[in-house]
Amino acid sequence: MGLLYPSALWFFAIVPALLLAYLVRERPQRVTVSSVLAFRALRALKGERPWGRPQLDWLFLIEVVILSLAVLAMAQPYVVRKRKPLAVVLDNSAAMQARTASGATRFDAVRARLAATLSGEDAGAEVTVYLTAPRPHQMGEPFEGGAEARSAIGQITVTDAPDDSDAVAKLLTELASGRRFGEVIFASSHPLAVAHGRIRTMTVGNPAPNFAIGSFRLRREGFGAAALRGWLTLANFSPQPQTLKVAIAGDGKPLANAEARVEPRGVVSVELPQLAPASVYHAELQPTDEFPLDNVAYAAAGAIKSVEVLFVSPTPADADGLATLAGVKLRVQSPENFSPADAAKADLIIFEYAVPKELPASNALLVMPPGGDPVFNFSVRPADAIQIAGWQRPDPLTDEVNFRLLEPRHGEFFDLHPWMKSIVNGNGGGLLLSGMREGHQYVATGFNPFPYLGRQNLPMSVLTLNVLGHLAGLGADSAGYHTGEPWLVPAGVEKVILPSGEAVVVAPGTLFTADTQQGIYQLVGASGDRRPRVTNLFDLAESDLEISVPISLRAASEEPGPTSFTVSSSLTLYLIAAMLALAALEGMVAYRRRRRALEVYP
Amino acid sequence: MLGLPSEFTPDFLARLEQLRIKTRREYAGMGKGAHLSPKRGSSLEFSDYRHYSPGDDFRYIDWGLYGRTDKLYIKLFKEEEDLLTYIFLDASASMAYPAADRKFESAVAMALSLAYVALASGDRVMIRLLAGDGERLASGFVYGRHRIVELARRLNAVRPAGRLDLLPALARELVSIKRAGKVFGAAAMDVTAVQILGGLEISGQGIEGNVELVDAETGEHVRVAMGTRSRQQYRETLLRLSREIKTFCFKRGLHYTLYTTDRGFHDFFIRAATELGLVH
Repeated sequence: MGLLYPSALWFFAIVPALLLAYLVRERPQRVTVSSVLAFRALRALKGERPWGRPQLDWLFLIEVVILSLAVLAMAQPYVVRKRKPLAVVLDNSAAMQARTASGATRFDAVRARLAATLSGEDAGAEVTVYLTAPRPHQMGEPFEGGAEARSAIGQITVTDAPDDSDAVAKLLTELASGRRFGEVIFASSHPLAVAHGRIRTMTVGNPAPNFAIGSFRLRREGFGAAALRGWLTLANFSPQPQTLKVAIAGDGKPLANAEARVEPRGVVSVELPQLAPASVYHAELQPTDEFPLDNVAYAAAGAIKSVEVLFVSPTPADADGLATLAGVKLRVQSPENFSPADAAKADLIIFEYAVPKELPASNALLVMPPGGDPVFNFSVRPADAIQIAGWQRPDPLTDEVNFRLLEPRHGEFFDLHPWMKSIVNGNGGGLLLSGMREGHQYVATGFNPFPYLGRQNLPMSVLTLNVLGHLAGLGADSAGYHTGEPWLVPAGVEKVILPSGEAVVVAPGTLFTADTQQGIYQLVGASGDRRPRVTNLFDLAESDLEISVPISLRAASEEPGPTSFTVSSSLTLYLIAAMLALAALEGMVAYRRRRRALEVYP
Repeated sequence: MLGLPSEFTPDFLARLEQLRIKTRREYAGMGKGAHLSPKRGSSLEFSDYRHYSPGDDFRYIDWGLYGRTDKLYIKLFKEEEDLLTYIFLDASASMAYPAADRKFESAVAMALSLAYVALASGDRVMIRLLAGDGERLASGFVYGRHRIVELARRLNAVRPAGRLDLLPALARELVSIKRAGKVFGAAAMDVTAVQILGGLEISGQGIEGNVELVDAETGEHVRVAMGTRSRQQYRETLLRLSREIKTFCFKRGLHYTLYTTDRGFHDFFIRAATELGLVH
């Protein structure tokens, strides 16, 4: 123990002075009694005279203690303790859910080994715990002693998210090279490619066969069609060929079955045509294995029965051709009346001669947008005569379009756009741009296809339907969300209900990071409307339990780390807390005395 | 109710009706009553003989004595008269402290209870205040149980105040009494002393730590440090002083009783009737 400002102890000299002043100036409480006869027999207060014997009322003693503590606090005392620095890097990625031969999961097995190791650490150890998934991060503040760390590790749950081997390697390199830790315990299913003097590995899990769903995507059969088409990727991580069966259910009802023979360490794609409409689809793989997480997958469809199109235009009559399409539910609105809340209700928004004031929360087609808007920042050049100069192929937007016969009469050319790429080019610049932002697809055209929608201009109609189908269909594609990957909260969403049932309050436009569980997330709007969003593991590297990728450190220093370090802890806060507690006690006792006296002798 | 103390419940009044004041001697009264008087009278209590004189009532001639002595004697009997009851009430400032004990209110209830016992049995009552502030009480005796309301009203108007040196003050009051009788309060007469102490006063509650105590009557200041030991010492001293008063009373043939305000008034009054000089 030491003192930061020992000279402050000189202030102890004022304690006797204050004591003397206290005794001289003391004004005891005055109480009128019926007779002082019986009190005369008591020992009189000698403190009436400054040189009298001090009165040992314990409240006075408390005040002396408070004063002494104040002087001590001014000296700022501290204690110095030696600590053994220890880092624990615990793999909590999805692969740690795989069961071992004993029946316990890899995570439980490694945690038991960690607990045994940490119980050998004395109370002087300072244990810093790092977790690997979804991204390597430190778990709170360092723990004092092995017991506290053991207790904290016991509370950790394994995630459904994969880990990033490179990021883990980077973390281990930093910990092993830095001067902060003398020893690093790496508890994982991944071995170290090359042993390091400061890293003690604790590897769990033997190679095991595993079958996995690698992806599950849905698209509409066609623009405006009710039925969906599904694609599944199945993987066989075993030394034997295996027939893998998959059962699809929609909103809990069985819809389809499929099977495929998959070679050892092979991956196949299975197509599931004509899936009946449902809100959420669930795929389950057979046979089951020791890693059940990747044997199931989810996919969510948008509005299935009809495509709800919001047409925002100053010339609503242009939407007449669109209204004749089967399976399309059309709403027409003027640009002045459009609000972002309208976007959440539509599968697709078409802005004709207009752009929204913020990025719409739905896929959108922008027809001849004005230039220089702050959201899309289009740079446009009007043109009286347009000729098609080139187009990208293959591309879902240009598929089966006879561009030689496509003759848009007038329009505008787009200059280079920061995030939308040009799919169709004209003789003066881009004519059709496509790009993705915040999980939504946007297409912009430099000409207006809607007056020509119909049989009179077949190439234009095919191109228009390609664009609308692409934009409407992408909303039902489930390939976008993986466990542990943050996503932006869409406009209008106020709350997200996790697969566990826990509700998280969110703000639109912020990153949502609590997506470490595989399953269905409900996005709840202000009016209570819910939209399902599914999140899957879909990481075949994580599903491969046969080969666990070794972690390669990046030129880590082999210098031995510190075996211990000293920590200075200030005691001032404790002293102030003790002073406040004593002052509160004194105040309470004085108040109770006075109140009792007033009750008896008012 | 009618300004009577809250202790005067119908049940308590009924029990007071059953009590009578007991005296160790016979005192002359002011009218017919239930107490034997030193005067000759018409009670059944034999007193003396005297020679027959012409005109005496033949019914009182003792014929047995005439047979033995051949002389006529008339039997004399004692008179039964009312008892003159004096109640002295300490209304000095000390009776107001501690206020929470309500000592003076208890003393008033005690005085009125004794007065009611006397009035209910046909005796005459005079209440005199020792010190005090407020309307002075009438100096004469009151008679009849209905006068209890008047006594209560007058006592309610009294506020404890002033300084009192009890024994000299009481002595002055007793000397001023022209007709002997029963005295409550604190002489050549039949005296019962009732000491009233507050329950909180005895326990010493409300006085803690360094305190400057002021005597309610003398204004004397005493500084004490009251802790657990000091409080115990104070309590012992107070009880010792009370015992000294009791010894003083007994040595002089006075009835003495101590009432502490934390006891139930009704229960105390009925149980302590003998000590108060009352009989059923």
